[in-house]
Amino acid sequence: MTATLIDGKAIAARMRDETRAEAGRLTALGWAPKLVSISVGDVAAAELYVRNQQRSAEAAGVGFEARNYPESISLEQLQGVLAGLNADPRVNGIIIQRPLPAHIPVKALQKAVHPMKDVEGMHPSSIGNIVYNDLTLGPCTAVAAVEILKTLPLKMEGLDVCVIGHSEIVGKPIAFLMMGLGATVTVCHHMTRQVAVHSRAADAVFVAVGKPGLVRGEMLKPGAALVDIGINRVDGKTVGDADFASCKDVAGWITPVPGGVGPVTVAILMKNAVLATAMQMDHYRSAFAAAV
Amino acid sequence: MTAKVIDGKAFAANVRAQVAEHVARLREENGLQPGLAVVLVGEDPASKVYVKNKHASTVEVGMASFEHRLDASTGEAELLALIDQLNADPKVHGILVQLPLPGHLNSELVINRIDPAKDVDGFHISNVGLLGTGQKSMVPCTPLGCLMMLRDHHGKLAGLNAVVVGRSNIVGKPMAQLLLGDSCTVTIAHSRTKDLAEVCKRADILVAAVGRPEMITGDMVRPGATVIDVGINRIERDGKAKLVGDVHYESAAAVAGAITPVPGGVGPMTIACLLANTLTACCRANGLAEPEGLTA
Repeated sequence: MTATLIDGKAIAARMRDETRAEAGRLTALGWAPKLVSISVGDVAAAELYVRNQQRSAEAAGVGFEARNYPESISLEQLQGVLAGLNADPRVNGIIIQRPLPAHIPVKALQKAVHPMKDVEGMHPSSIGNIVYNDLTLGPCTAVAAVEILKTLPLKMEGLDVCVIGHSEIVGKPIAFLMMGLGATVTVCHHMTRQVAVHSRAADAVFVAVGKPGLVRGEMLKPGAALVDIGINRVDGKTVGDADFASCKDVAGWITPVPGGVGPVTVAILMKNAVLATAMQMDHYRSAFAAAV
Repeated sequence: MTAKVIDGKAFAANVRAQVAEHVARLREENGLQPGLAVVLVGEDPASKVYVKNKHASTVEVGMASFEHRLDASTGEAELLALIDQLNADPKVHGILVQLPLPGHLNSELVINRIDPAKDVDGFHISNVGLLGTGQKSMVPCTPLGCLMMLRDHHGKLAGLNAVVVGRSNIVGKPMAQLLLGDSCTVTIAHSRTKDLAEVCKRADILVAAVGRPEMITGDMVRPGATVIDVGINRIERDGKAKLVGDVHYESAAAVAGAITPVPGGVGPMTIACLLANTLTACCRANGLAEPEGLTA
């Protein structure tokens, strides 16, 4: 059997159309969504991402401002910058580009972003909401991976799901999102004795480890869905964590790399931007209504 | 094979004794006394018993206990003002709002008003997120107690297959996070799981927290597995009231390697862990090293 390719670009385009419509509605109400991207120091590593996000923002009707701060900036100064952006009603979402210089701990910055402007879904309270089944702003990659699975003709309730990789920003949130949808989730990682035992029992497999070729066809249940979140460079080519050639012969559906989860992730970022803007508008209105 | 019975009472007594030692040490070396504030709104009889027990246990280990009993008609603003006051009080290291609150109060709003560093129940949304991302947090008491017993029984948990049955916010989910934190391969099963018996049979560690009496039977247990029964269900059998867990004890004990009984298993650990959390919060608040083995 040959797996059906999941077209991430097409899914992303559909999402962007919806986001664009919502951005238009908000703009008409005087709440034009706007993102601010913050990078620190040498931008080369993040440049591709920033450009990509900027293009996607334009396509979705979301304002985008890229700021770069010098390598010498201190954590306290950056926290001050974030406090300013948190207070600025013209800014609806804040993106913190990685990598950051060694003296800037990323978690300290993520915590300093106001939860209502946390479009990357990295604030502890954003993650806490996911754990409690209340998806407001979720981490983009994890949400993208789950949204992709939801486009398939599978019933999420009772679905056996295997998540390979338990990173804080991808693996764990996917596990909680899927659990919230009623799936039975198993989380595997580098200490798991036999990943294949778990992955072969699963109707859907998510892999997010950063090891090319980690998942092979014989580790899958025939007909299963495979969502590959890995992005690795091998011999000048971009590949995922799955051995595509062997997996596509066994899986029922498979995401390609590139062109799978990646484009949807950026689309989710834009969706989060309009969600955040709408939340802020509602919050402003209820606070104002309470004052009169 | 007959399972080793994990004696929760003895284990909890040991945890409490360790906490008491640390409290004495803090007093001697640092002039500190950990303090726990418990807020009870209304007259719920079960809640009153819990609060009384918590007070007695707190005092017993040498901590300060602050009880705040409010009238059932207490308004939201008044309750939030009390929380703010406790947040600001340096003598208070842990704050516990006894749930459930009367219907007119929004418990989510109240819990999230507690300073996360003093949230010894581990229910503040930031603590949930911190635990969810493997960061330092306040960990809910019941799953913390289960983790302590599992660590004690197994030594290292890394690489073991753990199955948590039940996905509640206060037990199942944090339990899964804690087991992941200790590098178990974790499956979270629940009422929608297709073949529960088959999933449970994969478990080296089986934690039952569904709230359905004797739902997990011996044929669902892998021989030699460790079974932790978090359930507490009141049933009537042969005309008598009886307390049973989510695990069918007799059949499971015949297969398991180790098992917690109900009562006398996980139950006693909850208050012991509340005290441990208060101690941990006090140490963190004062920039002191956390006591070893008493947190996640």
